[in-house]
Amino acid sequence: MIFVDVLAGGVRGGTAILYAALGETLAERAGVINLGTEGSMLTGALAAYAVTAETGNPWAGVLAGALAGGLLAAVHAFMVLSRGANQLATGLVVLFLGAGLTAMFGAAYVGQAISPFQPYPIPVLADIPWLGPVLFDHDPLVYVSYLLAPALWWLLFRSRWGIVVRAAGERPEVLSTYGHSPVLVRYLAVVGGGLLAGIGGAHLSTAYANAWFENMTAGRGFIAVALVIFAAWHPLRAVGGAYLFGAALALSPALQARGYGFNQFVLDALPYLVTIAALIVLGRRRVNSAPEGLSRVFDLTPTR
Amino acid sequence: MTDTAVATTDVRPETVDNRQKNTGWLRWVVGIAAAPAIFGAFAAAKGVNPLAMYADLLASLADPAQAQTVVVRAAILILAALAVAVPARAGLLNVGGEGQIVIGAVAAAGVGLVADQRLPGGLVLALMALAAMAAGAAWAGLAAGLRLTVKVNEAISTLLLNFIAIDIMLGLIYDPWKDASGFGQPSSRPLADTARLPLFTTGGTVNAGIVLALLALGGVWWALRYTEWGFRLRVVGGNPEAARRAGLRVGPLLLSAMLVGGALAGLAGLVHFAGTEFKLRPGMTTGFGYVGFLASWLAMHRPLRVGLAALLLAAIAMGGDSLQIDSGLPAASLNVLMAVVLLVMLGRKR
Repeated sequence: MIFVDVLAGGVRGGTAILYAALGETLAERAGVINLGTEGSMLTGALAAYAVTAETGNPWAGVLAGALAGGLLAAVHAFMVLSRGANQLATGLVVLFLGAGLTAMFGAAYVGQAISPFQPYPIPVLADIPWLGPVLFDHDPLVYVSYLLAPALWWLLFRSRWGIVVRAAGERPEVLSTYGHSPVLVRYLAVVGGGLLAGIGGAHLSTAYANAWFENMTAGRGFIAVALVIFAAWHPLRAVGGAYLFGAALALSPALQARGYGFNQFVLDALPYLVTIAALIVLGRRRVNSAPEGLSRVFDLTPTR
Repeated sequence: MTDTAVATTDVRPETVDNRQKNTGWLRWVVGIAAAPAIFGAFAAAKGVNPLAMYADLLASLADPAQAQTVVVRAAILILAALAVAVPARAGLLNVGGEGQIVIGAVAAAGVGLVADQRLPGGLVLALMALAAMAAGAAWAGLAAGLRLTVKVNEAISTLLLNFIAIDIMLGLIYDPWKDASGFGQPSSRPLADTARLPLFTTGGTVNAGIVLALLALGGVWWALRYTEWGFRLRVVGGNPEAARRAGLRVGPLLLSAMLVGGALAGLAGLVHFAGTEFKLRPGMTTGFGYVGFLASWLAMHRPLRVGLAALLLAAIAMGGDSLQIDSGLPAASLNVLMAVVLLVMLGRKR
């Protein structure tokens, strides 16, 4: 069934994007946009791969990937929050830093074999026709992401902690009158976002591609950033968006495997076109739902 | 009354600029000293002797062939950076240089491949340049139009358009424009010799692109400094609200800044295509758009400094090639050095 294949592939391929998008949602809710998400994914992918190769344990790899992604995001946080650098420019620089560091230290791991995450079909659920193969026949990191999105939603919108994070993004002045430090909250949110992006990268290298190669994230981090806007800074809506991208990624191989001579690149462009179309349709409403601190970034602020 | 409003907004940024000028040069010095130290530490962690590595890098710059490569790349980077600097003066973020370069190269290729065997070379080149600039402007204009009509943020839309542009190019060379006589990786047919950008010396690699880049650099510098348009851009970028109250039509100004930026990036696409590549191929986009973005920020969007920053980053990027040969480090390692230079520069306390 091509439909089931594409959907299952969408979930599998979308998971890395989902982690990064959830992380970016967290950071942007606190008022900081991080275009360096792509870099956090790359460092996460390499660190996870290297540690998995050395220890034979992919879970240790994921931990390392998360730490590496968080560390790179910390550079961004420091630049933006402590040095007053422009967020968008610094994000790109951080991406370059991640790309350079992973190229430098990753060369030794190209072509090396690891024992990656194995798919673990959930008993009973995996046997449900259609739904089973799409949702319940994946590696453990996919299942963790199922839990993570609602957890982040609950944290952001139903917990005290979430109010603090959102206040940092909307009205930092108010937050400081209540004795919290908006800068500290933003630091934690950006680094937390980097941790999640790092896990996304780890999923790519230790569960999806089972390999490390230079620049293997191929723009997924940027997709994640766009997705956050597409999803109007909402963790649950990000799930659908991430799987849409994943499905678009899975569509062309699935069609080709069945001998359909489709132009693959039309399909590859699809996710970006869909995102732009969605931004157009939802236009003003989306911008209005942006955290206040961010819309200031997006607004016509002086660039100096 | 309107005059006063304009005058006030104009005076304030100028004073800020003067202050930045003094500390700016110090930043350059610190950045240029600190970055190699940090990158050297990373290299040492990789078991590469940093001193030997830098000696190799400098030696490679002295090599005439390599120095020519720096100039070739600087030409593209200058145009790519100006494509960011002009919109930035009006407060717009053009992160889409990469896509505008690609779509410019695609348009140049489209015109070139149709005309290069029928028309005289100079005419073909002129048509290619027009097509490239129009395509780049259209690609950037798309983002500006979305910004002005439905409020889609231009930083995000230009970023997304990068990927679409690359997919368009790939889609073309994997099928309709594919060179039937090509081997291995698909690519378009190479451009006829006559329609390529002229070289300065036979056997050299420096092409007329650097002339185009320097003309563009001078033109942008002049336009921003001495024309009414440049003045208005600065006003809008400095304080859009005051500009609006002063009766400036902000929308068309923003659009024009973005169109000029896109046209410059499209021209960069032409220079890359007709000066170096001669055919469209996967992987011909080497991140010029992104590095150009950084060069513009490094120069705080000041045209003349953009030229210096582009030259510096082109030299660093070129160093990557020799690094790969001499020290066994992958070429992309140099991104670390570039990033550290930029972090030092961007991290000015405001």
